[in-house]
Amino acid sequence: MLANYIKIAWKVLLRHPFYTFITLFGISLTLTVLMVLASFVDHLLGAHYPEYKRSRTLYITSVLQTDSTRTSRSMGPASFKFMSQYAKSLKTPEKVSLSSMFGFTNTYVNGKRIKLNTKFTDAEFWYATDFEFLEGKPYNEQNIKNGDHVVVITDALKKQYFEDNGQPVVGKKIEIENIVYQVIGVVKGSPVTRVYTYSDVYFPYTAPKSNYQNAGLRGNFTAMILAKDEKDLGAIKAEFDAGIARVPKSVIRDGQQYTILEVKANTYFDQFLYTFMRDDSVQQKVIFYSVIFLVLLMFMGLPAINLVNVNVSRILERASEIGVRKAFGAPSKALLWQFIIENMFITFIGGGFALILSSLIIQMINSSGWIAYADLTINLVVFAISILVCLIFGLLSGVLPAFRMSKLKIVDALKS
Amino acid sequence: MLRHLFKLIWNKKGAHSLLIIEIWASFLVLFGVLTLMVFNISNYMQPIGFEYKNVWTLDLNNNQDTTEVAEKMQRIMDRIRSYPEVESASRMSSNSPFSASQMSERFEYKKAGTQTDKYIVDEDFSKTLNLPLLSGRWYQRQDWVAKFIPVVINKKMQTELFGEENPIGKLIKIDDKLSYKIVGVVDKFKAKGEFMSDNSAIFIMLDKTRQWDKNILVNTKPGTDANFEAKLVKDIAGMTKDWGIEVSYLTESRKTRHNLTLVPVMIFLIISGFLLTNVALGLFGILNLSIAKRRNEIGLRRAMGATEGNVTTQFLGEIWVLATLSMVVGLLFAIQFPLMNVFNIESRIYILAILAAILIIFLIVTLCAWYPSRQASRIHPAVALHEE
Repeated sequence: MLANYIKIAWKVLLRHPFYTFITLFGISLTLTVLMVLASFVDHLLGAHYPEYKRSRTLYITSVLQTDSTRTSRSMGPASFKFMSQYAKSLKTPEKVSLSSMFGFTNTYVNGKRIKLNTKFTDAEFWYATDFEFLEGKPYNEQNIKNGDHVVVITDALKKQYFEDNGQPVVGKKIEIENIVYQVIGVVKGSPVTRVYTYSDVYFPYTAPKSNYQNAGLRGNFTAMILAKDEKDLGAIKAEFDAGIARVPKSVIRDGQQYTILEVKANTYFDQFLYTFMRDDSVQQKVIFYSVIFLVLLMFMGLPAINLVNVNVSRILERASEIGVRKAFGAPSKALLWQFIIENMFITFIGGGFALILSSLIIQMINSSGWIAYADLTINLVVFAISILVCLIFGLLSGVLPAFRMSKLKIVDALKS
Repeated sequence: MLRHLFKLIWNKKGAHSLLIIEIWASFLVLFGVLTLMVFNISNYMQPIGFEYKNVWTLDLNNNQDTTEVAEKMQRIMDRIRSYPEVESASRMSSNSPFSASQMSERFEYKKAGTQTDKYIVDEDFSKTLNLPLLSGRWYQRQDWVAKFIPVVINKKMQTELFGEENPIGKLIKIDDKLSYKIVGVVDKFKAKGEFMSDNSAIFIMLDKTRQWDKNILVNTKPGTDANFEAKLVKDIAGMTKDWGIEVSYLTESRKTRHNLTLVPVMIFLIISGFLLTNVALGLFGILNLSIAKRRNEIGLRRAMGATEGNVTTQFLGEIWVLATLSMVVGLLFAIQFPLMNVFNIESRIYILAILAAILIIFLIVTLCAWYPSRQASRIHPAVALHEE
């Protein structure tokens, strides 16, 4: 029976290739856009290399100082001193890692310029992240205590700076801003979109020019707090908030007029949203979500309306077919199943095209070097949901009118 | 005629309502995308006002070294100016051209006020970036008076604050002890590149005894390469052991800035291009079906003496009325943007986007209706009536 329905559906599709094309184009386009978008969001927010432990990590990325009327405000990363006093001292987490936001510099080799991003971290950084060491090892507490001039570099920088491909470079020297460092490890690089772990060179924070000695509240450091378990996140937040509540007024003032200090340990998702919003209020969140919802609705709604439109105006085509089938004794239920399967058939073909298209596009983005080390993948959950949505629209617009028509008297159906 | 068309559409309002929604949604999507495009294109059409070709930026950071920072800066400036490869060099605040950093402040003169981009630069700035003056002159070393700091403003700030008055010599009061004295006017200074709008800008003379504002613009002679750059960095690092130095070329940072604007615009453009193709194809299919369904009516009209042209005009007229109806509804939404001054964009840009969107929608519906109505009007009356 099913094979029969599919055979009929296939014939119906071939009967009007142009309309089939319109329907397929709409379905596969919408699905492709949705899937590429979803894999992008997943790339930004999901747990990927080297932050596989994102689900049990809290991020402290910025502090906000303001006054009671909120007229003047200062916002940005905190100083190493502040972070080690209030984040590093937490008891609940498994590990707390401090690292600087990435900075920029250049290094020169054989009359060639290499642009570099630099990051200063503590030894726990290598524990909180899951960097893959291609050579050597990370620096440890001892290196930091000694203030050793050692660095961990990425494979891309190794290729650029040491040129001779394949040879191990651990123990070799690299000169950055007139200071010579010893390479202690080589890691596989990560994409720049993961700003709290991305860099080309990683220095121990006691290396020159890290400014970890800064006395004030503001500086250049962020913290990653690794919980033993996802369930501990709430307790860690509470402990951190309690610590922040005890920050002395003189520290908050920071030589200015500030009286209020706002700093939160957030999950990656929350802090990502936070960077787009001026404050944490519910109103801001509502605005943010409704803008995103409206844009998505507009872009996804248009193909949906189009699909419904084409389906509805084509339904009369099938009137005579329905009439003939009913005249030969087909029950309404059989007709209903025929239309459902026909609709599913075309939706799945469209979905297949979308799958191929979006994997092509994602492959293109990954290999274009537009984002170095991009690792976008197709998200099958999103694919399944969007196929489902397409099916609902298809069923609403194709099956419902057809079903109504199957309730017509045979004579009326045959007449047209 | 128009009344008749309305009647025809009203009679089939059920079938047409979906079509109206579709055209309405396309109009709004088009309006959004076109606003983005018109805004960026109209910005792009205006020149940036300065030359960046051989200019490098040196971003210095004194880190933990806090002794004699201003003196060291002065020594570095002197050293840079002494190289034969360097045409000229200028020290400025961190918001150097094409950088991500911004500084702005509200300035007032009598009753007028304007939010202004603020650049703290020294006396060689206009020479280094080849920034020509419209009137007055660039400030010089001897202009420095503690109470009246010399400034140069751009044309936009002049019109915002002084209207048609000549601003040269006027004072902008900051507080009781300090005023800015205008000595010159430049035309445009779009520091973030072509896609930035022409904001008000003010250039304030740099105080050489201060320890911040440690960006240096270096205009190099053509043909200077990375070898000189390495030497320059090595020399500066030798003079200041603990300082951080970052060199970037303005041509490169300009490209980075442009991509920040271009990439999202391109993505929107591609997606909405596909969306509109989708809509156009769908519209074509729907019209094809609905016009084909009206063969009898066409046959009758042809038999009563209507020409092919008459029939085509009728169908085109119907779809035009339909499109107009949906766009009137769409306009109710779109017109809110210029009225409420959303996103602080000039209303001129919104209006242009609306007009362009209307034009494109009419173009699409006409194209989609043209072929089916031509096809239908060619039906021989005898054949059409015979089928009945």
